[in-house]
Amino acid sequence: MPIIETRDLAVGYGGVRVLEGVGLSVPEGRISVVLGVSGSGKSTLLKTLAGLLPPLGGDLLFAGDRVDFRSEACLRYLYGRIGVLYQGGALLNGLTLQENVALPVRMQHPDMPDGILRDMVHSALSQVGLAGSAAKYPAELSGGMKKRGALARALILDPDVVLCDEPSSGLDPITSASLDDLLLSVKETFGMTLVVVTHELRSIERVADRVFVLHDGGLHFSGEYADLAASEDGFIKTFFLRKGSHDDA
Amino acid sequence: MAPETNRPETALKAPEVLLFPRRVRAPEVPGLFRDIQRRAAEGPLTLDLREVEDFDSSTLALIHLVRGLFPNVETTQMRGTLARAAESFIRRPPPAGPRPAARRGRLGRLFREYAEAFLFNVRSVGRFLSMFGDEVYHLGVYLRERRGVYPGETWNQLFFMGYRSFPIVCLLIFLVGVTISIISADQLQLFGADVYIADLIGLAMLRELVPLMTGIILAGKVGAAITAELSSMVVLEEVDALRTMGVVPEKYLMVPRLLAITLAAPLLAALADVVGIFGGVLVAQVKFGMAPSAFLRQMMNSVGLSDFVWGLAKAVVFGWAIVVGSGYKGLTVGRSAEEVGRATTESVVLSVTLIVLIDCVFAFVLY
Repeated sequence: MPIIETRDLAVGYGGVRVLEGVGLSVPEGRISVVLGVSGSGKSTLLKTLAGLLPPLGGDLLFAGDRVDFRSEACLRYLYGRIGVLYQGGALLNGLTLQENVALPVRMQHPDMPDGILRDMVHSALSQVGLAGSAAKYPAELSGGMKKRGALARALILDPDVVLCDEPSSGLDPITSASLDDLLLSVKETFGMTLVVVTHELRSIERVADRVFVLHDGGLHFSGEYADLAASEDGFIKTFFLRKGSHDDA
Repeated sequence: MAPETNRPETALKAPEVLLFPRRVRAPEVPGLFRDIQRRAAEGPLTLDLREVEDFDSSTLALIHLVRGLFPNVETTQMRGTLARAAESFIRRPPPAGPRPAARRGRLGRLFREYAEAFLFNVRSVGRFLSMFGDEVYHLGVYLRERRGVYPGETWNQLFFMGYRSFPIVCLLIFLVGVTISIISADQLQLFGADVYIADLIGLAMLRELVPLMTGIILAGKVGAAITAELSSMVVLEEVDALRTMGVVPEKYLMVPRLLAITLAAPLLAALADVVGIFGGVLVAQVKFGMAPSAFLRQMMNSVGLSDFVWGLAKAVVFGWAIVVGSGYKGLTVGRSAEEVGRATTESVVLSVTLIVLIDCVFAFVLY
């Protein structure tokens, strides 16, 4: 059973539909990549998958249950089972890195003993290689460190799914590759499901198990990475393989 | 040799020829355009562009515009790069026609704009009141459950709102106290009522000036800071991050600030009362030789504890208006950086407006 499924989903802002008729299913324990050109609606779709932006039509199902965006209890349940890695990291500037990582635990389990919380934070930061920077503030961290710190925060409560919004954007190829390694190790070690929004070809090649291509206001392709690589579709060849003509699409 | 033109010869009178120089760039274009306008009004005109070698986009725009504006102006065949550039420039699609709304009458458009602005403002007021209600609810829930807010955040906010605002509040209130005393001292002296300066300063400070001035200073200092901070958090997706961590941002971010202002505003107002009255005492001593003890005795004749308490209560209400207004502006900001600045300015205006409005209501209720 897919962990996330959408049926005829329409997403957008203020009544303007950016995407329509999106039907995708995210398999459990694998990395699914959502790709498309800038403005194709990747981040908007991710916001809806994260429960932040109510859909303009259709349904979002999480672990087989329909997500009711009008029900606070339903959204709280969803938030409790997902972690989100935002494009810029979105660490709170007023808190140190360890306070940032501890925040979800503090808020959801305020009676958690300090000793256990400290160990949880240390473990999460060690996984992303930032145990030595725990006392630093976000302003003192590089772009790559912020994203790794944000990943630690997303992972600390062991969510079922981690949604990543353009994790490689703004990073040099080496840092970007190390972040990809981290995502792969999260999948391998914890069997976690990841949904990664990106248009970085190198990242897609490295991490993607399943790929969803957004184009022209809808879902253009859905399938395994191997199928995508072998696709003869004009748009995919132009965008993904950088050959053929866009006009063929 | 007559220049070859791209339009058939139709005019009876031989067209005048305007020879464009080798260089036609932005500095030359306005003068040339004026020249063409003048000559085109007199009769047919041919623009000889064959010499043009050094040009920029303004040259192309000039050719494009002149061809569209003046039917009696013709151009010679262009050569080389200019011909290719002009071709690509002219091939661009014409500007879109007027929108349907533009065809409506001016009055209709004006009415529609006002109606839309009115509806937008009504919706904004509704959202603001809804947020105010939500904050009261969140505060109540927090006081009962003591969760959902970062530990120690209230003290951080109290430090910022109270301790950091204390010097500027005291300085400004002291100066207001001195100024009001000097102005009123002259008038009171005319009637030989010097002694009543104590009554006037006491009442004005405790009932009106201190809460009002404290509120306005806090709106500028604290309100602007709240909006700037929260709106930056929205733009940087930190508010979204809080939400997906299972945190209610309207509670996590606003409750500590509401608690802090509830404590800071009356404390600041009480201190400002002392400082403002001290300003009055100082002026009374210097201008009339009135002893401080006499000033205070006289003041106590007309000022009661209720004036002091109502002044503090007003400060608390103003503080709440500032925090909720600024928080509302901060959390409803758009997603672009320039909206942070706009929201910050608007939050100060909103806070000051709310303060004056609430003060007016207090005046009706109390006096």
